[in-house]
Amino acid sequence: MRRIALPVAVAALLALGALVVLELMRPSAAPTRAEQARLIAAELRCPDCQALSVAESQTAGAAAIRRQIVEQLAAGRTPEQVRAYFVARYGEWILLAPRSPLAWWVPPAAVLLGIGVFAWWLGRGRGAVAPTASPTGKARDRIRDEVEQLDA
Amino acid sequence: MAAPSLRRSLRWLALPVVLVPLGWLLFTGLGTDPRVIPSPLVGKPMPAFAGATLEGGEFSSADLVGRPAVVNFWASYCIPSCVDEHPVLLDLAARHGDELQVVGVLVNDTPDDARGFLDRYGQVGWPNVLNLDGDISIDYGVIGPPETFFVDADGIVIARHVGPLTTDEVARQLAALGLTP
Repeated sequence: MRRIALPVAVAALLALGALVVLELMRPSAAPTRAEQARLIAAELRCPDCQALSVAESQTAGAAAIRRQIVEQLAAGRTPEQVRAYFVARYGEWILLAPRSPLAWWVPPAAVLLGIGVFAWWLGRGRGAVAPTASPTGKARDRIRDEVEQLDA
Repeated sequence: MAAPSLRRSLRWLALPVVLVPLGWLLFTGLGTDPRVIPSPLVGKPMPAFAGATLEGGEFSSADLVGRPAVVNFWASYCIPSCVDEHPVLLDLAARHGDELQVVGVLVNDTPDDARGFLDRYGQVGWPNVLNLDGDISIDYGVIGPPETFFVDADGIVIARHVGPLTTDEVARQLAALGLTP
C-alpha cells in the first residue's frame, strides 16, 4: 500500500501544479466596453469635487466625463487615447495616479538613502578608537596607592 | 597618508551637496501657489465651440477670428466669486468692448437661474453660451467656475485665470494682448 501511495501523491501534486499553471496562463477575458469605461473613470479625478474619482462622483461634471468616455470608446478610441484626451485638456492633474515612474521610485529611494546615511552615521565612530597606552611603572604605583587609600 | 583629511573634506562637501538642493526645493515650493493648476491649453489654439445662448441666439467661436477674446466660465451658484468678478467683467466690456469680445459660458447651470443672476447683479452685453451637456467645460479643462481664458487675435490661448477676475489681472492680460489697460 505504501508503495502505491507515494507515486499517487506525487502524481496528484503534479496534476495540481499543472492545473495552477494552466489557470495562470489562461488568457483573461477581454473587458467589456462598460468595464473599460468604468476603469478609465476610476483613474480620472472628478473636476468639480474633492478626492473622488469620476467613477465615484455624482456631480454634473463627473457625469459629463463618464458620458464622453462611453461615447469615445463607442467611437473606437482605445482606453489610452481616451485618457490622453482628458490629459490634453486638464493636464496630468486629471489623473489620480501619476504616470511618471519617477513619482513611484523617488520616495523609496529617498528612504533607502536616509537609512544608508543613518547607518553610516551610526557606524562612523567604530574602528577609530584611539589605542590606550598602558600605564607606566610610576603611574601604576600611584594608582595602587589611591586604590589602597580608598580601601582603607 | 592624506586620506583622512581628504575624507573629512569630502564629508563637509557632502553637506552642501545634500542641503542646497533640499533648501532650493523648499524655497521654490513655498513660493508657489498649490491651487494653481497649469492649463495645457496655454499656447495652443482655443478649442472651438458653438451653441445656443442665454439671450436666445446662437454663438460660434469661429466668429471670433481676428479679434482677441475673453472666455469666462461662470454659474449663478458660484457665489461670491462670480458676483465679485461681475463688475470687473462689466467694466472690461464697457472700456474694451470694441477691441475684444467677451463670451460667457455657463457651467452646470440652468438658463432660469443664470437669468436670475444677471437680473440681480447686472445685465451684460455679451453672449452667454448655455453649455447644457458640459462638453465646452471639458474641452477647456474647467475645474470649477469662475475660470477665464484670454485668447489673442490669432485664436491662441495666452492665459487661464482660475478664480474671480480682478482689475489687476485684467490689466495684466490686456497688456499681454497688446491692448492699453
